[in-house]
Amino acid sequence: MPIRKVEIRLEDMLDELTTFYDAKVWHFLTVNGIDLGDGKIELQWIFSKYGVKDETVLFSAVTAYETKVPSVVSLIPSATLSEREIVDMFGVEIEGAAKGLYLDEDSLTMPLRCSL
Amino acid sequence: MKKVVNIPLGSQHISLLEPIRFQFTTENEKIIEVGADVGFVHRGIEKACSETFEWKKVGYVVARVCGLCAITHSLSYTLAVERLLGYEANERIKYLRMLMVELDRIHSHMLCLAHVSENAGFEAMFMQIMADRELVMDIQEAISGNRVQFDYIAIGGVNRDVTPELVNMIHKNLDELRPKIDDLMERFSNNWSLSLKYKGVGVLTLDEAYIYNALGPLARASGLKTDVRAESSDFPYEDVGYEMIFESSGDIYARNMVRLREIINSITMCENIIDNLPTGEIIEKVKGKPEGEVVVRVEAPRGELFYLVKGSRKNFLDRVRIKTPTFSAIPAMMEVFKGSEYADAPAILASFDPCMSCTAK
Repeated sequence: MPIRKVEIRLEDMLDELTTFYDAKVWHFLTVNGIDLGDGKIELQWIFSKYGVKDETVLFSAVTAYETKVPSVVSLIPSATLSEREIVDMFGVEIEGAAKGLYLDEDSLTMPLRCSL
Repeated sequence: MKKVVNIPLGSQHISLLEPIRFQFTTENEKIIEVGADVGFVHRGIEKACSETFEWKKVGYVVARVCGLCAITHSLSYTLAVERLLGYEANERIKYLRMLMVELDRIHSHMLCLAHVSENAGFEAMFMQIMADRELVMDIQEAISGNRVQFDYIAIGGVNRDVTPELVNMIHKNLDELRPKIDDLMERFSNNWSLSLKYKGVGVLTLDEAYIYNALGPLARASGLKTDVRAESSDFPYEDVGYEMIFESSGDIYARNMVRLREIINSITMCENIIDNLPTGEIIEKVKGKPEGEVVVRVEAPRGELFYLVKGSRKNFLDRVRIKTPTFSAIPAMMEVFKGSEYADAPAILASFDPCMSCTAK
């Protein structure tokens, strides 16, 4: 399945997704994170098109670990668990997304950071 | 006078097969707010896939995400890696893989229907459906060597072929199963406790299905016509009799009907697959190391299973992202609970067919 990758700046992400996303056209797949090392993380918001074969769009923004990331839940309510998963797994801060979806207080923190 | 009460359901509860906790806020008996905690069985599989196991072994690791739909996990991962290696399987391999996925769908849907019957008070019917399900489990065991957690899919093909004797056995068991499903359809359509009682209960409207990104039978029961089998060109589903099944009422009854009709469609597809198996090798040599980033979607029994795999020609992958159907469906589930009677919560939950092993991975 080919991916159409759209690289955006994190500060433009909400505007870009607001322009792009129509809930009756695009199916929201997930939010993903990939640790790039050197204190940077790539965040991805991924969508597929209803009723069309092999059409997947991936919005990608690279940010620093400590940057506060805006939430897309106001636009895509179902993103709430994906955002909480990213918070647990990568230790980034997403507005309104609470820690503790998967990890207990005494468990390993930020397990998907490459330095850990 | 309205009385607001907080009632937890789970993490251990008689109606739950796996640990999940819902925190219901009820006004008298009506649920007005829902919280969900899904992470009780997190095993760190994504981390293991990129740091503990080399890419050639990861297919066997992801098959352990879920016992029921192991085949779709190993298939999704394998498809992703094969694409990164520039390999496309021959038609025989594609047909054998489709066969296992559809058999998986039949037994998974039957398990869900068994639990729905149990929730309606039909314990004998639960046992009867589970006994009938053995017809499919026997086929899966004969093909793959395992009843669950099959390591059947391999990079470059599948591990075992379907012999003429197996073809006969598959025909015999599916012929035996079909009238049993017809009988179940009759019961789920006409028995008061399984049909009328569940009509209008646990409704997810079409608009809500769009807003909350419902998927799989949950979405199709609400009239949202989405199915990865129709939205991906990885497998020739149109050649084996695939038909998208959907209903419109979005309630428990509709979800039961979608699953029953999908079982019948999957039986037809399995028969067409074994009757028209193309010739060719069942496994081919694939060379190289994965490089690049790829997305794969496969229609698992509960809905769309998503894998993102990123590699850079090393023995360990940079990232394996797994998004499972139940994980995606939880926001829609929480919406359905709102406005429902608390007494209906176990039945509604069973009709979602949740898999917490997949969700927490």
